[in-house]
Amino acid sequence: MKTKALRFGAALATVLPLSAPVLAQERVPSVEIMTTTEAYDPIRYEGAFIVAEAWRELGLDVTVSPLEFRTLLDRFYSEQDFDAVILGWSGRVDRLDPQFFLGTLDGRQAGLGANNPGGYQNPEYDELYDAQSREFDIERRRDIVHEMQELYMPDVPVVILFHRDEVVAYNNTTFTNMNAMAGEGLYSEWVPMEAEPVGDRRTLRIGGPQEPDNVNPLASTSVWGWKWMRLYYDRLVRLSPDVEPVPWAAETVEAVDEVTIDVTLREGMLWHDGEPMTAEDVAFTFDYYMASEYSYFNSYLAPVASVEATGALSVRFNLSEPSAPFATIALSQIPILPKHIWEEIENPGDLTPDQIPTVGSGPFVFDRYDRGEFMSLTTNRDHFHEGEIAVDGVEFVIYADAEGVFTALQTGQIDMTAWRMEPGQIPLAEGNDDLTVVSVPDFGYFHMTFNTRRAPFDDVAARRALTYAMDRGRMVNVLLDGRGEVGTTVIAPVNAFWHNPFVERFDFDMDAARQELENAGYSWDAEGRLVR
Amino acid sequence: MSRRTYLIKRVFQAILSLWIIATILFFLFRMGLPDPTAALITEGLNPEQREAVRAQFGLDQPVWQQYFLFLSNAVQGEFGTSFSYRAPVAGIVWERLANTMILMLAAIVLAYGIGVPLGAWLSWRRGSRVDTAGIFVGLMFRSAPMFWTGMIAILIFGVTLSLMPTSGMRTLPYDAVGFWDKVLTLDFLWHAVLPVMIVALYYLGSPLLIMRNTMLEVYGEDFIEMARAKGLPERDILYKHAARNALLPVVTQLAVTIGLAAGGQVVVEVVFSWPGLGREILNAVRTSDFPLAQASFLIMAAFVITLNLFVDILYTTLDPRVSFR
Repeated sequence: MKTKALRFGAALATVLPLSAPVLAQERVPSVEIMTTTEAYDPIRYEGAFIVAEAWRELGLDVTVSPLEFRTLLDRFYSEQDFDAVILGWSGRVDRLDPQFFLGTLDGRQAGLGANNPGGYQNPEYDELYDAQSREFDIERRRDIVHEMQELYMPDVPVVILFHRDEVVAYNNTTFTNMNAMAGEGLYSEWVPMEAEPVGDRRTLRIGGPQEPDNVNPLASTSVWGWKWMRLYYDRLVRLSPDVEPVPWAAETVEAVDEVTIDVTLREGMLWHDGEPMTAEDVAFTFDYYMASEYSYFNSYLAPVASVEATGALSVRFNLSEPSAPFATIALSQIPILPKHIWEEIENPGDLTPDQIPTVGSGPFVFDRYDRGEFMSLTTNRDHFHEGEIAVDGVEFVIYADAEGVFTALQTGQIDMTAWRMEPGQIPLAEGNDDLTVVSVPDFGYFHMTFNTRRAPFDDVAARRALTYAMDRGRMVNVLLDGRGEVGTTVIAPVNAFWHNPFVERFDFDMDAARQELENAGYSWDAEGRLVR
Repeated sequence: MSRRTYLIKRVFQAILSLWIIATILFFLFRMGLPDPTAALITEGLNPEQREAVRAQFGLDQPVWQQYFLFLSNAVQGEFGTSFSYRAPVAGIVWERLANTMILMLAAIVLAYGIGVPLGAWLSWRRGSRVDTAGIFVGLMFRSAPMFWTGMIAILIFGVTLSLMPTSGMRTLPYDAVGFWDKVLTLDFLWHAVLPVMIVALYYLGSPLLIMRNTMLEVYGEDFIEMARAKGLPERDILYKHAARNALLPVVTQLAVTIGLAAGGQVVVEVVFSWPGLGREILNAVRTSDFPLAQASFLIMAAFVITLNLFVDILYTTLDPRVSFR
């Protein structure tokens, strides 16, 4: 109902100036599309020109401004000084829960620096957002999540341009049973546990151009730090390759009521230094994170009021408010740290690299990290999952760029790529019999966000028309070489459980775009420029 | 002016230049680079969380306070803690600098060791086919971009022939106690061959051409005619009389090259995944890691300034015609 009221309001606004006597129509202000530089990402750069071309055809004055990446982030998030921006969100596993992506349209997150820079405001949407976050029944929660997607789509505050497939490759003469995972590619936490050597070497060698910022679990703020650390720290829950939460260090996870969650640990787990892992360690870890200055996990920890060890192996989480994503997301992301090592460290964020403890309880044991060159882990033969692990260890070779990684893959120095290949490398890899190329759909997305505070994007009709005028099919076919999918809602189709396929689509249609504009009272002046 | 006053004056000038450069660097990075916490937004951090990180980095303090802290620390050889590595900058920079210098110095020694005598020899054979070919080769490698020559070398010697390693300083993993333990091995030498050759070929052109051209000028001087008149062998005239006098411009060029070498050849370091300072600087600027970027550039500047000073003093020994004035 609210959407209709909104659209009616927008229609009113467009009718009023028309009825005013002799008021000449004014040209629609020119717009600037900000995007990345060609060097940073040629796809987003070219994408901006595809959009600009069609918008000019509609009579809009458009400029494209490629900006250095961090400047772009600053203009978009910190200053909100933009008309329309092309950026992206990466599909991290914890974002498979709809909470995060739906939050990017939450009206209360429209402040400077927060996740809704476009400033979309829809009170009904915000209410549903709170409702889904409280709803423990997964079917009912899904219904709410579906309703939210249906609700916001006609307003198009953001256009999901496309989901880009992650194209990675591995050497099939050295390892087999390499199963890629959505959003993670091959460098998931499962591949090292599942890979089976077929050659002489029994250590899996991963190569990539990115390395951790540091391996301090209370300082690392990069995905690359955590992708590595999660191999030697256990979590209570792990997300399976099909993204189902499976109990891991926890034997059971039980919701006593909406705000109380009981966790029972597996018996007989040991830290890598031989000490037993207990409920005290779990309670300590959560308290330690909550008390620290480290803010990386804050959004996961926000619902936690207190954590107490209620027995040698049982822990109780008391939440301050019901939180549906807590059991899946927070418990699957927070590593369990050994109390006997960390309790003596007062300012963990200030540890220098040689002081950082690396004792975990995970399926692999930290071996070494030579900055800029090499990292390695050995398999933990005391771990409960040990029987399933075929490799003797995992090694990560750090290269300066994607070119170096690909050369190493071709020459057999590494077994798999940690990061996507460059477009030019894909056909080369496909032509090489020793290599298997894997294309993984992504649930992260590239988007164009409109600044709904500024003309012409403050008008729903204009946003709808300009969305019709985006040839996203061409972006996928030409820019991605077909390796991707045109976007619909903020929840990707590959995230099938939460994605709502029955929403308004805006397939490329210039006539529909013009029609939408005319209906809203726009017209064109003698020079073909859009006026209202 | 006595030699001592001259030295004191030059050292004072050098310190002044360093201070000016340090100041420019400090403000340039803060004005020119985006906020180092900007990238954390893509990790989903909200404004308060970002503010907390800024405070951790000391960026919440007034800029002038940050500036004086930076200066007083720099004087003591302290460059603070890297934002992204959370490790003391000094340690990172010195290690990377050593990796870069061993690569660059090897290449420079090779380039000048071959380039200077070769240039002298070409000037003697001026106008011949050898001369033309020499100039052509020198100019070609001087103008070919190193990422291209490097990639071609990797393609031929690494991928197609599988003869040479294509990346890194050593076969991974390796254990080494300190820098010399790392580089005084055959394995290191093996890994260094391709990148050193690529840089050396690039550098070869300068000493070769400068030497050749200066030699040609020197041939017209009276003392050469005098030497000929004395009936000295052509070889002695070339190497003992002419070459010595033609060395001065080459020495200047050498000093500048060594000074700039501290910054490394980013392109070569990237193509060969060499863990050098150039790559580190690139990363530091990309991630707005102010302490790391400042320290790297400051050390590069110190290198250039020191070497210039050194060369000025060396001149007076090499060429008595240069006096302290």
